[in-house]
Amino acid sequence: SCKFSCSSHSDDLSSSVRSQDPNQRRVLDSATRQRRLTRQLEALEKDNFQDDPHASLPQLVKRLPQFDESNESGKRRKKTRGDHFKQRFRKNFQTLLEEEDLSVSEGPNYLTACAEPSKFPQRHFCAVCGFPSNYTCVSCGARYCCVRCLGTHHETRCLKWTV
Amino acid sequence: MSTLVLDNGANFAKIGYSHEKVSVIPNGQFRSKTSRLKTFTASQLDEIKDPSGLFYILPFQKGYLVNWDVQRKVWDHLFGKDMFKVDFADTNIVITEPYFNFSSIQDTMNEILFEEYQFQSALRINAGSLSAHQYFHENNSELCCIVVDSSFSFTHIVPYCRGRKMKEGICRINVGGKLLTNHLKEIISYRQLHVMDETYVINQVKEDVCYVSQDFYKDMEIAQLKGEDNTVMRDYVLPDFSSIKKGFCKPREEMNFTGKYKTAEQILRLTNERFAVPEMLFHPSDIGIQEMGIPEALVNSINNMPEEMQPHFYKNIVLTGGNTLFPGFRDRVYTEVRALAPVEYQVSVVLPQNPICYPWEGGKLLAENPDFEEMVVTREDYEENGHYVCEEKFDI
Repeated sequence: SCKFSCSSHSDDLSSSVRSQDPNQRRVLDSATRQRRLTRQLEALEKDNFQDDPHASLPQLVKRLPQFDESNESGKRRKKTRGDHFKQRFRKNFQTLLEEEDLSVSEGPNYLTACAEPSKFPQRHFCAVCGFPSNYTCVSCGARYCCVRCLGTHHETRCLKWTV
Repeated sequence: MSTLVLDNGANFAKIGYSHEKVSVIPNGQFRSKTSRLKTFTASQLDEIKDPSGLFYILPFQKGYLVNWDVQRKVWDHLFGKDMFKVDFADTNIVITEPYFNFSSIQDTMNEILFEEYQFQSALRINAGSLSAHQYFHENNSELCCIVVDSSFSFTHIVPYCRGRKMKEGICRINVGGKLLTNHLKEIISYRQLHVMDETYVINQVKEDVCYVSQDFYKDMEIAQLKGEDNTVMRDYVLPDFSSIKKGFCKPREEMNFTGKYKTAEQILRLTNERFAVPEMLFHPSDIGIQEMGIPEALVNSINNMPEEMQPHFYKNIVLTGGNTLFPGFRDRVYTEVRALAPVEYQVSVVLPQNPICYPWEGGKLLAENPDFEEMVVTREDYEENGHYVCEEKFDI
């Protein structure tokens, strides 16, 4: 069991893993596990996890101009501030990348510049406490370091939010 | 005629006239739960008294400028009467772009600079090229250098020879400060306290307590010890924005190693998080990103260069970008590259005094260069010849 101060779970060991019938635990296949990992990595790209505080405001309030948004040089802005330009100015990253059509370009580009996989072996860490891990959860593939962490994992994350 | 140097980063804009000093200003807009109706732009962030649950609106996605509505609002503020009061007809602008910037974004940049703001002239360039320019100025006997730019969105490793970047050697690792902060938010939220909405606060925690380990498994052992033997463990007091305006680490003598704290403060207890988070720059695979870390990518890039240049690159490794500020970063890069490099080559890794503003300093230097006039594209030039003249002159 966990030798040192793995503090992420309670002292109560009554929710022992051994009491669960192995035949009843669902096992995720590798495609599902990969999808889960991809989703976790995509979540790490987010700017915010909460909603926009302005999202729930009534439309009328949102239209009120800010004091500093005065149109001092209205003339020169007409060229690039019309509705037509708005579409072009708000495309997301994926769209812009696809439009660049790099598969037909020659020489180094954004895609070829991406670092290759490491030649060093991957290290594994317990999904619960972050210390080095030697064991893998049979159901979902998450790593754990001791029985207590596995218990916490089963209670909180294993097989939850599966696509 | 004055020159405005703008290192337009995904997190901060480093901006200033070439004859003045640089300012580091958030490149985005912000909304707060407490000031519900207002949107704060760039330096107005300082006006927010309670940044808990701060909502970010950033023009960049994955390191590329995609949202021009937001970017223009930030630039209107920076160029306007509250900040740099730019007289566009009398101003050159030196502005940075990411490596391999998409041609559609480059075209839009030309339009915005010349048709909307109407700068007299512009020079668009990679930030790393400005860093290389500064480095060669400081080390004028050197022919080659390799620039590591580890910042908000990602990390780039770029070899330069005689002032020109070597495109075949450019390597991008998709780990940046944003990812490190989000990962720290996730593990704290799972292990201790829900902080997924607290980007601003946890980013400060990251900058205050995280460091790069020189001996990863040893630190892992120490971090598991109980009581005072655990020299890695720190207790971080979270701000409440009334009595505690800014978070801080409790000094070791005030830490309670045996029981619970009696005070009302919210405290995070951090052990392996302190060094496991920055470790992702050295082993992205720790988190499932199948890419090389910085030292391995450096050696890999250099090995793809012509053999006679390789010892020159090993001797001139320059670290830039916010992530290089983690204590121990430079030493760790040196140790790992030294171990991987051929024994007969000299290895030298330089961390400038201000790694965040180093490209800006290079931009200032470039603006003072006698050849500067020939490097820029003037507005007249653009209006006559269009995007073509920019494609020819600028090497992005």
